[in-house]
Amino acid sequence: MPEAGGGLADLADLAAKLIGDDAGAWDRAGRIPVDVLRELGAAGALCAQVPPSHGGPGLSSRDNGELTAFVGSLCSSVRSVMTSQGMAAWAVQRLGDAAQRARLLPELCRGRLAAVAFSEPAAGSDLTAMRASIRREGDRVVVDGAKVWCTAAATADLLVVFGRYEDGAAAVVVPAGAPGVRVRPIADAHGCRAAGHADIDLDDVRLPVDHLLGGTAQALPMLITTVLAYGRMSVAWGSAGILTACRQAAAAHATTRHQSGRPLAGHQLVARHLAELYVAEQNALRACEHASARWDSGSAEMVVATVLAKQVSATGAARGAEIAMQVLASAGAHDGHVVARAHRDAKLMEIIEGSNEICQLILARHTVEALPARTGR
Amino acid sequence: MTISSAGPAASAQVESSIQQFLEKRLKATVAPDFDIFASGTVTSMFAMELVVHLEQTFGIMIAGPDLRMDNFRTIVSMTGLVLRLRETGGA
Repeated sequence: MPEAGGGLADLADLAAKLIGDDAGAWDRAGRIPVDVLRELGAAGALCAQVPPSHGGPGLSSRDNGELTAFVGSLCSSVRSVMTSQGMAAWAVQRLGDAAQRARLLPELCRGRLAAVAFSEPAAGSDLTAMRASIRREGDRVVVDGAKVWCTAAATADLLVVFGRYEDGAAAVVVPAGAPGVRVRPIADAHGCRAAGHADIDLDDVRLPVDHLLGGTAQALPMLITTVLAYGRMSVAWGSAGILTACRQAAAAHATTRHQSGRPLAGHQLVARHLAELYVAEQNALRACEHASARWDSGSAEMVVATVLAKQVSATGAARGAEIAMQVLASAGAHDGHVVARAHRDAKLMEIIEGSNEICQLILARHTVEALPARTGR
Repeated sequence: MTISSAGPAASAQVESSIQQFLEKRLKATVAPDFDIFASGTVTSMFAMELVVHLEQTFGIMIAGPDLRMDNFRTIVSMTGLVLRLRETGGA
């Protein structure tokens, strides 16, 4: 097994070994064995951009993206756990102070599992409507609220919960076993069924004040934008992985299945499906590579490039999975099949971490801002 | 905002660099004490661009409590943040 600090290839090998041929069975069962997640976590694979100085593999955005796409091509549920734990680690890295980074990040690379909790019954695309409250009482913080659809929360040891705090907002690291925390797994998720989605109730949860990341109130939009950026990048690469799986399955089926005296790929209308899958996969990969290159060079363009990659990949995966279903037809139309999973999983990628519509609003705004300055005077 | 011991020359250099980035990005003249968030046209997405830009340009890390929106409100406040983090290394 690779040590934490193992490179992309070692982590990908480990993921392939641990996932094996089990993704379909996990999908049908609605759960990933927690030992699998702990082993991936202990190698740092679930949050592989954590730097070596904090006990992580220290992968670049590009290499972590390649790992995410690879895992996404095998099992979107495991990949969703990576997205959630990665966001939790990113929240600690960006929002936490030096002591919190030093304490929490190594734990997240040694097998402790973490999830993030943003959405609420009345706060989805508009997260600024969130009502969960964090308040200070002496040397404690007290957390109250209800969170919904928290990916990987069912297996998480730590929950990074976002809520209102003083005149702004904050994120607090809540042990899943703390008194007052109730994690209610969602048994019938449409997609990424084994990723451990859960709703969370927090009732008068009292924690030491050093669990409050950064120790101070922040502007809620800044917190959300910062942490979601990592999630969007992860979803973008994961969606590219879904497209790779769909392209491979469709091409394999179209060359082995014969109808009307020739392989499916010899029928022009089916051949077009294969071409469209290839275009969608390559588009997604290029958009992801473009965005990750900007993360790795520290370019301010990474902000918009990330949203673009998420939009291109998620919409491409949703459409690509439909196409692959069409090519596989009855061969792929049963739960657990790679293409059936892709069909359900990809749809969710158009919803989470900024729906298609939210991403479109951001991109539309960017096109307006990019207009040249008016020179008429 | 804390006044840095780095001296007025360093301060002017940082201020001018930030001003150039903002004016290029916002396509408008931006005075050092102009509150870029007050107009409502600047979003949290842009605030994040500013964070990344300042980190890259000045070789600093802006994390934890330093991400407060007030630090990015004006060229003056951003300059103060950059100079302080260059000296202390941040939270």
